[in-house]
Amino acid sequence: MRKNYLVRVLTRLNARTSQPLRFLCSAPSAAGVELKNVTKSNFEPALTELRRHVREADFVSIDLEMTGITSAPWRECFEFDRPDIQYLKVKDSAQKFAVVQFGVCPFRWDQHSTSFVAHPHNFYVFPRQEIAGDGFSYEFLCQTSSLEFLARYQFDFNTCINEGISYLSRSQEEEALKCLDSVYKDDVLDVSSNLGNGSDMQLVRMADILFAERMKNVVGEWRAGLLRGVNCGSESPGSLNDTNQKFQTTFFQTRPALAVNGLTSRQLKLIKLVTEKHFNDLTYVHVTGESSCRLPLIVYTDSAKDRELLKGEVKACQRKAAEMSIKSAIGFRHVIDLLSSERKLIVGHNCFLDLAHVYSKFIGPLPSTAQEFVSAVQTYFPSIIDTKVLLNSDDVLWRIMKKGSTSLSKAFSLLCLLPVAPTSTSNGLADKPRVKVDVQVDGQRFSNWNSGAKHEAGYDAFMTGCIFSEACFRLGIDFNPQAPGSILQHNEKLQKYINYLYLSWVNGDIIDLKTGKSGTDSLGSATGRQRWHTKFTFSNMILLWGLPTKLKAKDIRECFYKAFGSGSITSVHHLDETAAFVQFSRAELVSDFLELKDSLERGNKNPISVLHPLSRILETGCVRAATYEMYKEVCCSPLSEVLFADQAERIGWKGASVDVNGEDDCEREGETTSPAFPKQSSASVRTSAAGTRSSMNLQTDQIMDSLCRSAAQLSR
Amino acid sequence: MYLRRSLCTQSAAGHRRRRQLPVKQVIKSNFSETIAEFKDSIFSSDFVAVSLQKTGGYSAPWQKLLPIDTEETAYLKAKRAAERFQVLQFSVCPFSVKASKLIANPYNFQLFPRHEVKVGMPSYSFSCQSSCLTSMAQEGFDFNACVYNGISYLSRAQESAAKVQTGSVLLNSCSFQSTSAFTVADVIFAERIKTRVKNWMNGCNNQHKTEDTLISSLRKLVGRSEIYGSRPSLTIDVCSERQVQLTSEVLKEFVNIVLVRAPAKVGVEAIQVVLTSSEEDKNLLVKEIQDLEEEQGRLVSGFREVIDLISTSQKPVVVHNSLNDFAFIHSKFLAPLPPTMYEFTSSLLTVFPHILDINHLMKEIGLFNKMNNLSSAISYLDRRFSTSTDMEVSNEEETGRVNVHGHCVMRECYLFIKLCSILKISLEIREGGHTQLPAALQRCSNMFFSSDARYPFDDDVRIWTGKSRTVSVSNLVFLWGFRSGMSAQDLKDVLCNSHDVFSEEFDVKMVDRTCAIVVFWTPGFSKSFLRIMDSGELFSNKLKDMISEGLQAADYETYKGVCKSGLWKPDLAECLDQATNEIKELSGAKTQQQEQSLICWNNDEMINLDEL
Repeated sequence: MRKNYLVRVLTRLNARTSQPLRFLCSAPSAAGVELKNVTKSNFEPALTELRRHVREADFVSIDLEMTGITSAPWRECFEFDRPDIQYLKVKDSAQKFAVVQFGVCPFRWDQHSTSFVAHPHNFYVFPRQEIAGDGFSYEFLCQTSSLEFLARYQFDFNTCINEGISYLSRSQEEEALKCLDSVYKDDVLDVSSNLGNGSDMQLVRMADILFAERMKNVVGEWRAGLLRGVNCGSESPGSLNDTNQKFQTTFFQTRPALAVNGLTSRQLKLIKLVTEKHFNDLTYVHVTGESSCRLPLIVYTDSAKDRELLKGEVKACQRKAAEMSIKSAIGFRHVIDLLSSERKLIVGHNCFLDLAHVYSKFIGPLPSTAQEFVSAVQTYFPSIIDTKVLLNSDDVLWRIMKKGSTSLSKAFSLLCLLPVAPTSTSNGLADKPRVKVDVQVDGQRFSNWNSGAKHEAGYDAFMTGCIFSEACFRLGIDFNPQAPGSILQHNEKLQKYINYLYLSWVNGDIIDLKTGKSGTDSLGSATGRQRWHTKFTFSNMILLWGLPTKLKAKDIRECFYKAFGSGSITSVHHLDETAAFVQFSRAELVSDFLELKDSLERGNKNPISVLHPLSRILETGCVRAATYEMYKEVCCSPLSEVLFADQAERIGWKGASVDVNGEDDCEREGETTSPAFPKQSSASVRTSAAGTRSSMNLQTDQIMDSLCRSAAQLSR
Repeated sequence: MYLRRSLCTQSAAGHRRRRQLPVKQVIKSNFSETIAEFKDSIFSSDFVAVSLQKTGGYSAPWQKLLPIDTEETAYLKAKRAAERFQVLQFSVCPFSVKASKLIANPYNFQLFPRHEVKVGMPSYSFSCQSSCLTSMAQEGFDFNACVYNGISYLSRAQESAAKVQTGSVLLNSCSFQSTSAFTVADVIFAERIKTRVKNWMNGCNNQHKTEDTLISSLRKLVGRSEIYGSRPSLTIDVCSERQVQLTSEVLKEFVNIVLVRAPAKVGVEAIQVVLTSSEEDKNLLVKEIQDLEEEQGRLVSGFREVIDLISTSQKPVVVHNSLNDFAFIHSKFLAPLPPTMYEFTSSLLTVFPHILDINHLMKEIGLFNKMNNLSSAISYLDRRFSTSTDMEVSNEEETGRVNVHGHCVMRECYLFIKLCSILKISLEIREGGHTQLPAALQRCSNMFFSSDARYPFDDDVRIWTGKSRTVSVSNLVFLWGFRSGMSAQDLKDVLCNSHDVFSEEFDVKMVDRTCAIVVFWTPGFSKSFLRIMDSGELFSNKLKDMISEGLQAADYETYKGVCKSGLWKPDLAECLDQATNEIKELSGAKTQQQEQSLICWNNDEMINLDEL
């Protein structure tokens, strides 16, 4: 019993520590590795440079920093999560949280110096809305503990928000272009309609009337001058003197035009009104200038036909500008496009979540199943290698890691930092020299760098790359290439690790990106067998929620043993404080339990139900039970309530065959909620539950008392 | 890194060159020292202005407060926002008006929901609207300072849920109700305790008597005497609250001891009896323990202490947008928001009895919602009404520090006073006459939602005729499922003359890009339109095409249902779709309540909708 309780505690611990795997890393020491920090101000030149580096690289390592990992405690990874559930949890995380830093580090093998040259880049990313009104929600979630974590490592939030590079995913770009199509397809659209219906405006204020009159004169004189053939380019008529900073003669596509500067929108409306009213051959339009600001122009046209032509031209001009603004909003996605188009080997450390983020932020909405997701990922990134998989699956490397933690910083210090151990180790590889890695930033090359665990994405990416190169070296891979650039991803020794990722580290499920198949230990390594041995029969599991908070796994187990005999359940796992999974030893016990629960709740307050061993579990009166499939449904939901019980309630799940209880609840809560929307606030349930609980307790106590008394009498 | 950050902070600060009055900046490190000062200033002033800086306002265009919202839906929208987003900055300005001079003490608190006491509290996660963060950044908000040094807090509900021991650990001070009749067991227990304590005290007092170290340590072991701080103490195990009472009752006769509840070990309760050398020493110890408790309590409630102080001071609270701001205050610092507006207001008013909404005052002088922005409202009023108010800020300027935050609350104060002077409301409250607000203010306090329909004074509605008209929500019909990119005018053109119901005057406005609303100015036409949509009666061709393409219609109840259900999807059309499906499933289950709520239909306001 105690062992089982321990298991629960361990799994919860596991789940908490291994998800944000960077938590495990050592405290930051003096920063030693130079990083290229990229913000929106130096993005363009940095991108050009990065293109060259990636093209020449042998592999590229990546790492991401996010604003959070899980949107609710029960969305953490548990060992009893089936692969499809694991994917749903990763999907939820990638959809809700934002990426704030993106580390990209191309590694190139330099034959002359027989060392790798790394170019660590640290991109600050922020999902700023660059295109107005595109209908996408630029909203993201922050997990408080993750922000605290970032703060602990001196993450610069100001730089991220002020200077972060924004981005547009492929699907967002397509959508925006489509939207543009529909706007500009319409022929009836008035070019100047953006100003609202100007003709509706009436001259009511004295100031308006005077201004309009003056404008009429100004424009009229300009037109007259134009028609007289006077060269208006430099000399303005006398009356324009006072306003000639505001009016300038220019040309719009070979037509003479008057540019209007520095007026308020109301004044512009008046000008438009005047132009339309009094001058047939003048048209008021807005064009987008070189500096991408909108420039109001009054353009002279020869004829009605010419005027139509002008409108078309203006529209084309506007469309082009809009397209340009969409193109420029792509921002950081250029880096992803670059990595994808160069088809280099991508290296990450426990990077399934990272890839999900990359997909959902820069490619499109995440597919609903892991299989679809991985096959889509493969089309963009044909070869991915995960250093965590590599270290845990290869027996040689696993021994070098001393069979211990394979967290990023631990692996880095063991493989790449610690002085090579004197050769008493059996593998005989440890006495070999290490792979040399030089860091190159902005043309400067550093061969001697200290460790600098700064928890910046760029540095983490660098560490990942170093681990990978060292691991390759220990595997005996020769870096001197026959075919430069692509040697590593076709190397035989690496082949069996490429495109395998941990779906979740907690239960060691590895997913094969090529086939979409997943399962524990699919690489057949010894470590997998050692580490993860718990097997779950999901059809034997039921999910209970709405449990009393103080109930421990031990207690639940005891209750079930009393009710169904010892050995009836194999394990109890807490999902959060009010929800738990119970795994029965036999499938038929699942239905037995549901029936029993039903009948106990139906005979609400009779002594049998009160005295029944399960009453301790059911005492809150709002305990629900369901099969494993329901868990999946809850995980699918976009909502994220903190407590699982609230979440299940919100999405309208009453559990399997608890109708009797359900009716009861409806009656009680009917006053506050309309039946059309049966989601009530959890608070009301809580209070009502608490009420019934106390009355129930009282009864139990009374009965126990009377029993004791009678027992005492008997013994006497 | 550090250098970089400080540089960028300063350059951001440099943007603000307006004349600014000093606002005291409060972060984690100077919170405890500021709170005493804050307490004084709040109790000595007549009003308190508050202003909140949040991480977001609404997730989708239709989810912000729209003119089509009734009180109920407006509350649900505010509730949604308050539950999702986070307050990062809370500015408070206690102020009073003396001799037409504003005396203000502005404070600006940086908040961050750090997990100080328990993991997951006060908030596991929160949402951010990136546009909101960007504009905060432009104003020079320092996010690093906020995350690194922001003050954490727990709401009242969370505090009690976290089961943080709030009861005093001191037992002497507590007075118990006279205990019921002593049983034999009680008497025995009491006597045993008494003799034990007596023996122990004797032992302690006779310590100068030389004693073998072995014996003294044995004595300590057997007698369970320990050291509490620097004073000797004795631990007594108890097994019920009754025994705790008995012990304290019995030990009353010993003058120089202090009873302390021992830190609870699992399952075992115990009392520590601490021996002090004199009355003076006893008082010292009691004070020590009380201070410690206060400190701990402060750590638990954190920033909420400010809210508690505002509440206990019972001063009128001045805000700019009361519904939204107080939804945040309620959900972050008091308790989770109740499902209905009625419960919300009644719960809130027990904590804050007088809430004055500046927006509401603006309406009184004829500035409708147009002036959502504080600065524009101020400059507008400055232009139109030339009353000047002196500002006097009593916080001394901190040297070498640029105060960039929290000026919103100063603007609020200023605007409030300006409005009151225009409305000829005297804010000078005489000494002692605290709780009584000027009648004019009393009248308009606690108006959270002020559509004209709810406005108690008919006179004021007239100002808006021509611009806004009141329409019953039963005359509104939501339309969706039309081709994307259609404008309100396009829709109106299609609808116009397509059927008899559109022969009279009607209006079409867009709610968001997927959904429009049709306003029938003739009562009853909305019902018939909906009926016709259902029955499939013939319309003109164009409208028929649209219906075959998926055009749908629903009444206001459906919209209400959407707000109630928590289906907050980005497009209203999708929500309405889902809600109508659910209603169809449950049709007949309930007769729809006939509710004659009215909303204000304001043409000026609706123009904004097109720009969404």
